Amino acid sequence: MSSTTAAAEKLLLQMVDDYTEREISPQDMPMDQAGDFPEGFIQHLTDTGFLGIMLPQEFGGAGFGPEITASVLNHIARGNASTAVTLEGHFKTVDQILKFGTPALQKQLLPTANDRIFAFSMTEASGGSNPLGISSTATREGNHWVLNGDKIMITNGGLAAVYCVLVKTAPQELSVFVVDQDMPGFSFGKREDFIGLRGTPVGEIVMDHIIVDDDHLLGKLGDGGRIGDSAHDDARILMGAVLTGIMEHDLKIATDYAKERKAGQTPLTDLQVTHRKIADIAMRKETTKLLYQRADQLKAAGKPYSEEAAMAKAHGSRAAVSAGDDTLQILAGYGYSREYPVEHLIRDARAMEIAEGTVEKMRSAIAKAEFNK
Amino acid sequence: MKPKTIVVCIKQVPETNEVTIDPQTHNLDRRGLAGIMNPFDKNAVEQALQLADQTPAKVVLLSMGPDDYAESLREGMAMGADAGYLLSDRAFAGADTLATGYVIAQAIKQIGEVDLVLFGRQAVDADTGQVGPIVAEFLHQPQITYAASLRLSGDNEITAERLLEDTKQTLVAQLPAVVTVRSELNTPRYPTPRNIQLSFEKPLTIWHHDDLDLDDSRLGQAGSPTIVTKVYEPKPTKRELTSLTGTPTEAASQLIKALKAHQLI
Repeated sequence: MSSTTAAAEKLLLQMVDDYTEREISPQDMPMDQAGDFPEGFIQHLTDTGFLGIMLPQEFGGAGFGPEITASVLNHIARGNASTAVTLEGHFKTVDQILKFGTPALQKQLLPTANDRIFAFSMTEASGGSNPLGISSTATREGNHWVLNGDKIMITNGGLAAVYCVLVKTAPQELSVFVVDQDMPGFSFGKREDFIGLRGTPVGEIVMDHIIVDDDHLLGKLGDGGRIGDSAHDDARILMGAVLTGIMEHDLKIATDYAKERKAGQTPLTDLQVTHRKIADIAMRKETTKLLYQRADQLKAAGKPYSEEAAMAKAHGSRAAVSAGDDTLQILAGYGYSREYPVEHLIRDARAMEIAEGTVEKMRSAIAKAEFNK
Repeated sequence: MKPKTIVVCIKQVPETNEVTIDPQTHNLDRRGLAGIMNPFDKNAVEQALQLADQTPAKVVLLSMGPDDYAESLREGMAMGADAGYLLSDRAFAGADTLATGYVIAQAIKQIGEVDLVLFGRQAVDADTGQVGPIVAEFLHQPQITYAASLRLSGDNEITAERLLEDTKQTLVAQLPAVVTVRSELNTPRYPTPRNIQLSFEKPLTIWHHDDLDLDDSRLGQAGSPTIVTKVYEPKPTKRELTSLTGTPTEAASQLIKALKAHQLI
């Protein structure tokens, strides 16, 4: 890494920490309670240039690499995991357009990714972890494609303006098209009322006879499975970074509390039962961090990283739920109270045992990768 | 109209309050501490950028200190400043406010044709607030301190509102002038990620001793008339604590009695 790159990354993280402390963290509890983000919050985040962090400079972005992008989400998640996940959904989608989009599609869409949130939608009522179970279709009519179907549980669904959608172009063929909220036939459906990450909108889009040209096909016909896997891999690394941030948040709450509180006449910091819990949280945090950073290093080096990305998410999500549980136990009644953030950190972490592929699916993928070695 | 040149003087200060005192010099020991731009200086940078939005102007940052002070200059350039100068030389080390002000004033003269010099009201590490006024004296320019608002009120004139403890003054000064600003003036912008990257393409010049026209007798510790004889941390005093018990009404009644007993009410 050049000294200029290192200096720029240091300055970026300094700005992110400052912004998180002043603008994002104060909204953590209100967002969880309201199940939404406050008015102007996303616009301010956008105006400050967060959407373009990993977008190449030729498209008007900042052009930071994948490792520092994950670090940014890690730092934001220390104060507010929902906001970090909103950015994760955007970055993973932009990444797929950079990997698979034609130069014409990139030139048309990517400059707008500085101001508009992008989303990747795979899940349907009939298929989540089984992509071939979906029923949305793109059919050829003349020189165009006509898209029909409902996509649900989309991270940033209802907030994003641009959607990469997985559809069937033949009974056993999956492809990805890019649609825009302004296209005729596009509408938003139900918004989910989830128990965690409540500041991240998750919703449905409905495609009713949306007509697009060939240039809105991402990759080639039949590339849907490959692109979907790639989006999952990239998202899982970023989720590892978010989960690490949640555990750092847990650790700060737990250590701050333990330093102040006594059990009888004994400070909590002198109790072995506290030591064990703090050490476990710290070890879970560090192992998750090493896993996501390892996956990111492989990605940056152009090497395969699917297995490592799956490990980061599978290990990190359960680790963060357990870390939250230990933090809650240290804080006891205060931990169990909605007045304090601990309980919502558990709910936030729990989402990532499901989103971007269940931990069960992660373990199957990891095992298959090991069998193939 | 010729574009104006606004120089903003910034200082890098320790990120923590836990600074120690050098037992030899009795000065703050800043070695090994992570630095940030002095928060009041961010208000000065922001004000310069806002003035540059109103009238064609080049915003130039100036700082004196070790090489790592370049980080704060880059941050200011990421906020939008056009260029930066760092005055860095062992000969400048140990300078008090007078010796610091002298070097900064000489550098401003060398930049040439500067219309306005802005400072934060004071640095949060030493809290003197003296360097801005000293620079104004060296430059023989009008100065306005503690400005809570600042605008260009003519082609060659600024108007500032000066907030003091119990009064408010409106002052007009001819340019060139020196102004120190308060934090009420504005909310500094965040450097955007893209501007952080682009800031490394902007010119940052390091001026050493030999790059400036300097009188060596006025530099560093030798050129500093300030002598710090003693610096100490005030010892915390233990005070008597009385707990008020009972219902809120009873506690309030006890409080009133206690205040009366001490002849405070």
